[in-house]
Amino acid sequence: MEERVMRLMQKGSLACSEDTSIRDVAQIMVVNSTHYCTVMNQNHEVMGIISARSILKAFGRDLDQTKAKDILVPYTFTITPSTPLKEAIQLMDKRKIEHLIVVSDRPGSKAILGLLHVEDIVDRMARDEERQPS
Amino acid sequence: MMRVCDLMDRDVIFCYPDDSVKDVVRMMKANQFRPVVVVHESGEVWGIVTRLAVIRFYGEDLEQTRAEDVMRPYRIEVDPQWPIEKAIELMKRTKYEHLIIVDPHAGPRRPIGILCSFDIVHYMSGIETGHYEQILKMPQAWPTSSP
Repeated sequence: MEERVMRLMQKGSLACSEDTSIRDVAQIMVVNSTHYCTVMNQNHEVMGIISARSILKAFGRDLDQTKAKDILVPYTFTITPSTPLKEAIQLMDKRKIEHLIVVSDRPGSKAILGLLHVEDIVDRMARDEERQPS
Repeated sequence: MMRVCDLMDRDVIFCYPDDSVKDVVRMMKANQFRPVVVVHESGEVWGIVTRLAVIRFYGEDLEQTRAEDVMRPYRIEVDPQWPIEKAIELMKRTKYEHLIIVDPHAGPRRPIGILCSFDIVHYMSGIETGHYEQILKMPQAWPTSSP
């Protein structure tokens, strides 16, 4: 059977609002030891994601004045739990994104269900290899 | 002034070009999914295998694929004495997530550290290293990966 995103995605996500300052975003990431932070607006709709790489764009600017919405990578493509895993991996590779936001299957839904991380895919690959008799 | 060597990770994980991707994946898993540096037998940096490069081979035969086929050739030389701003500029320009730091004195391009974009985030957050180290090392209450 074809594997789907729901097998590997993690439920829930770390989020900040669009007006959070970059210094706070950096602190959220360091304290939680994650390499991403999703950005939501007031209606809990997903706006985009800030990764460790995109935060570099703000380096040299005033970290307290720069807001999350200034540097976020906008959310433009839809990944749902039933998307085939292969398709998600291709998207990650093409866009060079390490964390994909997963939203609900419902049309028009913009609430975050969870995230698909690149680590979980590598972890899965390592475990698949261990399982195979060598 | 903050220098590259103050922030870099001195623990470099490396493999040889002939190693299979299976071994690389195993190494990554054992080392918190950090990138693996590919070195020549002489100790010279040849390339880097990142997580995004590895997942391209999901579902394929990892035993038959070699690290050389997966790696991205790496030719930039970063000196540990560079100011951190210079390294960040380089990261922004090349869009690389990781910079390999090479020893300027010990012969041909021997890797001595890796600078990850997360290290820069750490620096920008202003939280001192060591302050949260204890919290981060605590065992997870809910293991995140499920079978």
